[in-house]
Amino acid sequence: MKVLDSAVPVACWSCSIGHNDSTLFCPHCSKIQPPPGGDYYSVFNLQPRLDLDLPALEQEFHRLSRRLHPDRFARALVNEKEWSLADTALLNDAYRTLRDPLRRTEYLLKLEGLEIGEESAADRKDRKDPSRVPADLLEEVFDLNMQLEEMRMARRIGEADPALQAGLSEAKARFAGMMQAVDQDLRAEWIIWDAGDAKARQDAQKRMVALLDRRRYLSNLVRDVTETLGA
Amino acid sequence: MAYSDKVIDHYNNPRNVGQLDKASTEVGTGLVGAPECGDVMRLQIRVNPETQVIEEAKFKTFGCGSAIASSSLATEWIKGRTVDDALAIKNTDIVKELSLPPVKIHCSVLAEDAIRAAIGDWKKKNGAAETADAATVTAAH
Repeated sequence: MKVLDSAVPVACWSCSIGHNDSTLFCPHCSKIQPPPGGDYYSVFNLQPRLDLDLPALEQEFHRLSRRLHPDRFARALVNEKEWSLADTALLNDAYRTLRDPLRRTEYLLKLEGLEIGEESAADRKDRKDPSRVPADLLEEVFDLNMQLEEMRMARRIGEADPALQAGLSEAKARFAGMMQAVDQDLRAEWIIWDAGDAKARQDAQKRMVALLDRRRYLSNLVRDVTETLGA
Repeated sequence: MAYSDKVIDHYNNPRNVGQLDKASTEVGTGLVGAPECGDVMRLQIRVNPETQVIEEAKFKTFGCGSAIASSSLATEWIKGRTVDDALAIKNTDIVKELSLPPVKIHCSVLAEDAIRAAIGDWKKKNGAAETADAATVTAAH
């Protein structure tokens, strides 16, 4: 993932007028620019925020995609042709990341210098950052894993246990419900982050990292149960 | 990624898999999990109240081979040690013994956390003053 310093003014290669580095097209002469060095938000001329207007984002994505289409550069300079491809790739990455609520949240947290998921695991070896475990879930997670194991063993010896199956289906629904609750909580944090000052943002970020951990845990469980039930 | 022979050995023949009576005052239970991979590990110890020696250690781990091997090794190592001695085990010792690659280091951290959580739980039950070290890890239940 490309995360560079925030936009710095550069001169347009064509008209030489200085412009903001984050733009795909020169605001003065409209010529295509090399892939800019800003973050994904700046590709869309947005400030980092979490509660995004998705229809507007999609509209802007289509508008920029059309402007970058290789057909429009059929008779352009070699550089411009290359940039149209590179800019399109960047635009696609930016759009895919920003339109997805979870990926967007993770991306913004990374922009803010936080490490999440697998990336943070290796750094925890020195214990400076203690494991963030959804402790209230552990007991339930452990029991569910026991049930899953039991179910798989029963399957292996060709025995179907309807009670076990029903229990797992119920557990799956419960965990899926918990996931929805996490998503709601995340959305609430978005609003706080978007409107908050530096302190409020930092607090919200910490809570979001914890929520994402919890969500990952839950989604792995739901996946495991689904696999076992469907096997 | 290839597992080391020692990891494979522990994975195929895990030592001390099982469960101890959670309600017993001599038993400490540590339940820990790694959100990044969904692993969950339960490690239990039975401590002799006279000698403070860990006489029995059991584990049950749901997770990858490295997580199972780390907890299996942990139970082997703490058995026969005093509680304080067991706290001296560091995840880096486990990494070395099992030749864990960097991406699996968190499995060893989990095992160390599980030891600390189990001892923390036992200390809490027995009203012993927790050391500053153990206090950083809360028993996970």
